[in-house]
Amino acid sequence: MTDSYYPKSLSEALELRRETGAIPFAGGTDLMVRFRAQAGTLPKLPHPVLFLGHLEELRQISMDSSGTHIGASALLSDIGVSEHVHPMLSETVMLMASPPLRNLATLAGNIGNASPAGDAVCSLIALDASVVLASLSGERTLLLEEFITGPGKTVMKSDEFIREIVVPADQPDRYWYRKVGTRKANALSKLSLSAMATVHEHRVQDFRAAFGAVGPVVIRRRDLEAQVRGMTLDQLSRETEGIVDAYRPHIIPIDDQRSQAVYRLQASLNLLRRWIDLLMQGG
Amino acid sequence: MDSITFRLNGTEVTITSPGTRRLLDVLREDFSMTAAKEGCGEGECGACSVLKDGRVVNSCMVPVGSIQGCEIVTLEGLRESEQGKRIIDAFVQSGSVQCGFCTPGMVMAAASLLAEHPRPSEAEVREGLSGNLCRCTGYDAIVRGVILASREGEGL
Amino acid sequence: MTTGISRSVPRVDAYDKAAGITRYIADIPVAGVCYGKLVRTSISRGTILDIDVPELPEGFWFISEGDIPEGGRNRIHMIKEDWPVFTNSEVRFYGQTIGILVGPDREQLIALADAVRVTYREQEAAFTIEEGLACRGGALHGDDNLFADYCLVKGDPESAFSRAHRVIEDVIETGFQEHVYMEPQGITVEEQDGKIVIHASCQCPFYIRKAVAPSLNRSLDDIIVRQAVTGGGFGGKEHFPDIIASAAAVAVTKVHRPVQVIFDREEDMCYSTKRHPSQVIFKTALDSENRIIGMDIDARINAGAYESCSPVVLQRLIFSSNSVYDIPNVQLRGRAVATSTIPSDAFRGFGAPQGIIAAELHMSHIAREIGMDEVELKRSLMVSKGSRTITNGTIHETVKLHEMWQRIAEVSGWHEKKSRYAPGSGRGMGAAFYLHGGGFTGSGEQDIIKARVRMVKRDDGIVEILLSNVEMGQGLQTTFRKIAAQVLDCDYRDILLADPDTDRVPDSGPTVASRSIMIVGRLVQLAAEQLKHKLHEPGAQESEAAYTQPPGCHWDQETLQGDAYPAYGWGICVIETAVDPDTCEVETLGVWTIHEIGKAIDEAIVHGQVTGGVIQALGYGSLEKLELKDGKFFQHTMADYIIPTTLDFPGVYSELVENPYPYGPFGAKGLGELVFDGAAASYAMAVQHAVDRTVSRIPVTPEYIMELKTHG
Repeated sequence: MTDSYYPKSLSEALELRRETGAIPFAGGTDLMVRFRAQAGTLPKLPHPVLFLGHLEELRQISMDSSGTHIGASALLSDIGVSEHVHPMLSETVMLMASPPLRNLATLAGNIGNASPAGDAVCSLIALDASVVLASLSGERTLLLEEFITGPGKTVMKSDEFIREIVVPADQPDRYWYRKVGTRKANALSKLSLSAMATVHEHRVQDFRAAFGAVGPVVIRRRDLEAQVRGMTLDQLSRETEGIVDAYRPHIIPIDDQRSQAVYRLQASLNLLRRWIDLLMQGG
Repeated sequence: MDSITFRLNGTEVTITSPGTRRLLDVLREDFSMTAAKEGCGEGECGACSVLKDGRVVNSCMVPVGSIQGCEIVTLEGLRESEQGKRIIDAFVQSGSVQCGFCTPGMVMAAASLLAEHPRPSEAEVREGLSGNLCRCTGYDAIVRGVILASREGEGL
Repeated sequence: MTTGISRSVPRVDAYDKAAGITRYIADIPVAGVCYGKLVRTSISRGTILDIDVPELPEGFWFISEGDIPEGGRNRIHMIKEDWPVFTNSEVRFYGQTIGILVGPDREQLIALADAVRVTYREQEAAFTIEEGLACRGGALHGDDNLFADYCLVKGDPESAFSRAHRVIEDVIETGFQEHVYMEPQGITVEEQDGKIVIHASCQCPFYIRKAVAPSLNRSLDDIIVRQAVTGGGFGGKEHFPDIIASAAAVAVTKVHRPVQVIFDREEDMCYSTKRHPSQVIFKTALDSENRIIGMDIDARINAGAYESCSPVVLQRLIFSSNSVYDIPNVQLRGRAVATSTIPSDAFRGFGAPQGIIAAELHMSHIAREIGMDEVELKRSLMVSKGSRTITNGTIHETVKLHEMWQRIAEVSGWHEKKSRYAPGSGRGMGAAFYLHGGGFTGSGEQDIIKARVRMVKRDDGIVEILLSNVEMGQGLQTTFRKIAAQVLDCDYRDILLADPDTDRVPDSGPTVASRSIMIVGRLVQLAAEQLKHKLHEPGAQESEAAYTQPPGCHWDQETLQGDAYPAYGWGICVIETAVDPDTCEVETLGVWTIHEIGKAIDEAIVHGQVTGGVIQALGYGSLEKLELKDGKFFQHTMADYIIPTTLDFPGVYSELVENPYPYGPFGAKGLGELVFDGAAASYAMAVQHAVDRTVSRIPVTPEYIMELKTHG
């Protein structure tokens, strides 16, 4: 029995996925760590893997009227410098991992892994990105927020894999991305904030904030965002502490080997407050 | 077991191996190419760096079955090239080498960086080497080595 | 342009390392090798009731206490008989060696090791210094859990405290630190002509020989240790290779095949020794004019489950606990506390960083309390030639710290920045002053090590240096050759110096304690001077030099009184930081250092040591958090235990001041550890200035800074 499949085309990949249930393997930088091998031994992968990284049709980054289409196997290093990619996503991607890992890793991997600390997921959710899932039965498109249901959990079926990620063309005017990592490079996130807004004539027309690594999934509260939308900058100024307090109960980090819950909460709220300050200054 | 064909330092090679086996193990065990080292086995340290289609990657993260048809260059190959010789020489001249365990990976990262940015700034060098850990040098002499190599590349 | 011996030359090992030609132990195939995998305890304290080993396939063996050759000791000889080679009853820490599985296939070895079932009777364990002092779960060592308990008195502290106007109290704490040498631990052991040959990535070939021989009940000469190219050590390959070598050597005597043990990184991080955590409690007596008149110091280190070299680490810590200051009246107690953690062991600085961090932070806290500029307070107390040390010895050399300070203050813009950055403004400056005694503490060089260096001119005229100190990145292959070449007036590249083989070289001592250049390099110089006279005589010629204590140095090991070190290296490190107001992340904006090491044997190598040591210390001071959870290390991969990358700190400014030492080679003193001693303290003080809070422990993580800002 083989431990891996190397499809020649997307259609062969879909067939193999249905027939064998092999794990989609794009860049593998998560799988190869999770099932890490010691020298001279094989990775302890529980199932055969389906290599997808080489398929040209999955490596494309393109743009049309609906937005930017990022193939499941496009490398982070290519996404980071692509002119088609929203600058917040470029910044996010270039702060992920390290140059050699970015030459292997993909967005689909970061999404499929569904780690609450997945940096790209945080910015993609702020950008209202969707995931296109392919199977022999056809394709379906879901908002990324709906695709990820818990730590390491997604709604992907056993005959599907991610074909591409779509980032809508229409985005707020301003963004601010802050990753608080364990160090300045090649770092995992202690917390992150992907924030966006449009302010027009002293009024907030759009407001988004997604928090990474401070809950079981990326935290984006559309209900709270709706409360901010429509505020004037004066109102925003008066309501800043109210907004921060409204977010507080939803930011539910844990203590782990990288940081502490109390720090993660405080720093997340401080960044939210800073973002609101930045909007008022730039308004 | 799968039959896997790729180019290694300019020569086409075919091996029979489980597809998930780490490229690092294949290089060290099947080809006796030991310039790439295992420092962590999880993509953190960069000691196992090689070039895959011209870009630096961690060979401990690469299952050999995924590199069908790819061009892999190790330090054994790079050191025969003009660029490789220039980087190695610049490292020797700049005091970039201490215990030496990270050095092969640093040279590979430098090669990848210089291919993309022939005349990098110090900030670009630091960014380009940020996936390669060194515990001896504090990095300054390695950064100087890469900058020296880039200048010599222009005949300065 | 630097001339003479200090002028930099290309390192002899650089090309082969940079070209990937150099082969480390894991790069060398061994015919017929059996791989070895250590089987370890999974509890921290208790008793092993049963060890159930699965049925082993042909060619696999499980080696444990019963396999120790007749008459062999189940104790590894370090400074004294110490850790057991294999435990089959008492468990003192998580990860203690029970046995070693050996066999030809690594995949099968891992499966077999996972299938070993051990049942225990578990016992309550002490993990922290406080728990150890309280003998939680009953004493692990003696009846008080103290491997060492030292007292020092200088002057009349009792009277000083009785006349004190006020007393300032402080507790300074430091954590574990993992070495993260880039090459994990590795050894290969084989039989050759009836002898046991050990190839090891190590710092101290003769230590391994001394450790292994009693376990095998063999003479020292029956054990041959050959140093393999060593990919970094930092103290982590001082004693720890003894542990692996002992187990593997017992296995070889049983299976009669080569046995190789190469650690995986996670295994290395979980089960290798670490730097001693410390807790130093100060009480400082001030008179009515806020002058320091006395100090009471209570220093404790977490020694772990076995003694190892903890008493000696503790000695260096307490001897460094007044740092560069002449405090008039001092009483000190120092204790090495047994706990059920992996024994703490050597790490660059060997206790001195913990002592200096405590002293520097405490002095800065006193300055904050009395409203004085911290550098002015420190400068008013600095030692000078003739000053009395904490062990009532004498500083024999001229101390250049004041002129060094003038210089570093100028290049770092200290005065301007210090006045511009208001305390708590988010920008901060820190300055640490430090020293490091070269060579073994006290009379160790004279009474214990007795270093010897041999030099030969062969028949063919080629000169070879024979000694036991290893190249592990610090440049000895080049600097030893340069010293000899300078004397013999030849090209350093024409001199032979092989990696040590205990069967060929005299014992010039271990590669530790910043002694290699100052002590052994001096012997290289002396041996070369002797050989020079015979260089043109026909046939093979030989010379040998042996260590003698510099005149005027006196030490009593019983009372710990006298000159703890013959000479010191001196340093200052200035750091500028900016603290993010929202996340408390710290940006290091500048690092400036100045060091006095007597004389540089090679400036590029010295600056390489400075930069490497400073960045490693900045990691210790800021990023490298290593916590115990139920006796296990919580951070055990390189993704979780964070060492600095290229982007974490800016380039390091490094300047040297000469002050030749008459008993070092061409005036050189110790270097390798000095450059580690100050940067963490400097960083902590820079953050302290930036946030205007009292920083009392390292690492100074954003989490800790947030805690300080929130709770004061």
